Amino acid sequence: MADFLRRFFEALELRNEPADLAPAPELSGAERRRRPIGEPILSFRDVHLSFDRPVLRGVSFDLGPGSTKIILGGSGSGKTTILRLMLGLLKPDSGSISVLGTDVADLSEDEIRPVRLRVGMVFQEGALFDSLTVGQNVGYRLREDGELSEDEIEERVREMLGFVGLSEHFDKMPSQLSGGQRRRVAVARALAPEPRIMLYDEPTTGLDPITATAITDLIVKVRDLDGVTSILVTHQLRDAFNVARTFMWKKDGEFVPSVVEDLSTLEGTDFLMLREGHVQFEGSAFELQSSTDPYIREFLS
Amino acid sequence: MAPKTPYLVAGLARRLTRRLKLAVLAVQNYVQLSWRGIVSMFTPPFYTRDVMDQMDSLGVESLEIVVLTGMFTGMVLALQSAASLDAFGARPYVGRLVCVSMVRELGPVLTALMVTGRVGSGMAAELGSMVVTQQIDALRVLGTDPVRKLVVPRVAAALVMVPILTIISDTVGVFGGALISIFNLKLSWEFYWRSVGQALSMNDITMGLIKPVFFGFILSSVGCYMGLTTSGGTQGVGVSTTRSVVVGSVLILSSDFFMTKILLILFPVT
Repeated sequence: MADFLRRFFEALELRNEPADLAPAPELSGAERRRRPIGEPILSFRDVHLSFDRPVLRGVSFDLGPGSTKIILGGSGSGKTTILRLMLGLLKPDSGSISVLGTDVADLSEDEIRPVRLRVGMVFQEGALFDSLTVGQNVGYRLREDGELSEDEIEERVREMLGFVGLSEHFDKMPSQLSGGQRRRVAVARALAPEPRIMLYDEPTTGLDPITATAITDLIVKVRDLDGVTSILVTHQLRDAFNVARTFMWKKDGEFVPSVVEDLSTLEGTDFLMLREGHVQFEGSAFELQSSTDPYIREFLS
Repeated sequence: MAPKTPYLVAGLARRLTRRLKLAVLAVQNYVQLSWRGIVSMFTPPFYTRDVMDQMDSLGVESLEIVVLTGMFTGMVLALQSAASLDAFGARPYVGRLVCVSMVRELGPVLTALMVTGRVGSGMAAELGSMVVTQQIDALRVLGTDPVRKLVVPRVAAALVMVPILTIISDTVGVFGGALISIFNLKLSWEFYWRSVGQALSMNDITMGLIKPVFFGFILSSVGCYMGLTTSGGTQGVGVSTTRSVVVGSVLILSSDFFMTKILLILFPVT
């Protein structure tokens, strides 16, 4: 708890410094978005998976600490399957999957639990527990751990709900929330145990543009203020580029988003495009936008 | 037309083989889930609060239908047996027949069938909905074993509550038989209860209490299995719910036959 707060406020201070010196448009996007890329904390190596038909065919990629990977692709291209494989919800037919230094491809449910506890996942529809209140949903993992007192858990839950802007919904049931609110609660639930990696599975699908922007701003806020490594799976190009080119800092106690217009200066965010189970493209936002591949051009148009 | 026949036969054989394989796979998965449930019941973490909630939902909330079923079954048993016994001038033995039938057979089976219809289907629907809305995946991602959190409390609650509900059903059924015997068949209150007391042995009670334990396990484990293997969205939830009632009821009735054969050897009628 203390460690999380310390890192949280350190991040705020870091963001406050340049913001106080210069207005947002004058800041170098690359400077703001640059993150230390070290040894990959997540890697796929030649992963194959088939059910009735091949779902993934030789997928390989790496993700460094603090960076963001945006996985694009049409329906049925295997995007969500990648997230499920990372969490051990599915097992690959062949290939290796390393998450935080552990090969999760062949682990049992009990063996993979420590890895799962360090990864947060936001499901497509939120997947909140119907029978629990919003507060109980967000505090679920903390109660399961049994390390914090009830007062500490409530304090943490309120802090997380404040972070996603839903403090007043503490006692509501998930059925009383809108689609966008449910997904924000899901983000708060995933963030509560202080994960090192956040996975977002189509978090804006079915939402109106304004609510979708609120969700993407939240994803940016989590990434920029806490340095959490993120993977965003989506087929909504607008939201994908919003996450890639937006950054967040704090000014006068308010979270202020700023947009980088020049894609060539972006760092720390990579795109990966899947097509029928294989990697069609991997690279930066700039490379994606300037690709001449007919399929990518059609996808982007 | 003739050359098509071998292809049709081959196609039919393939479909039959596939269905057989799927059936064997389903049995294997059911046995695995049941075994994990049993093992998890004796190893931590324990979700005691969830067990209590399930006991309330399965036991207390099923009380009304179990009481009604037991009462009317006892009453109709008294009427039917009196009609048969009158042919031999044996109407005073109505109490014996009602009591033994209820305790040994009808109480456990009817209670289990009613609970399967009310609770087994509810388990399948609830867990099935959790599967299609990814709540089960969310549980796993949050580090919780769905078998411990969802299956064990339901099975444990059924193991305790189905025998208790059966005792209540037996008691109410015998009481229902008493009402018919006194007000309709004109037997005396004392004679009826003396007849019940003479007929009932320890072996009857033992047999009547062993069966509901197994029935409780069957109805809850089948309900959980059908729920957790739901696929195909909300339509799939409906299919799982129906299947849980059909499979649970058939398993209860068929296992009752085999259990009765074994229990009659272990606890013979005295």
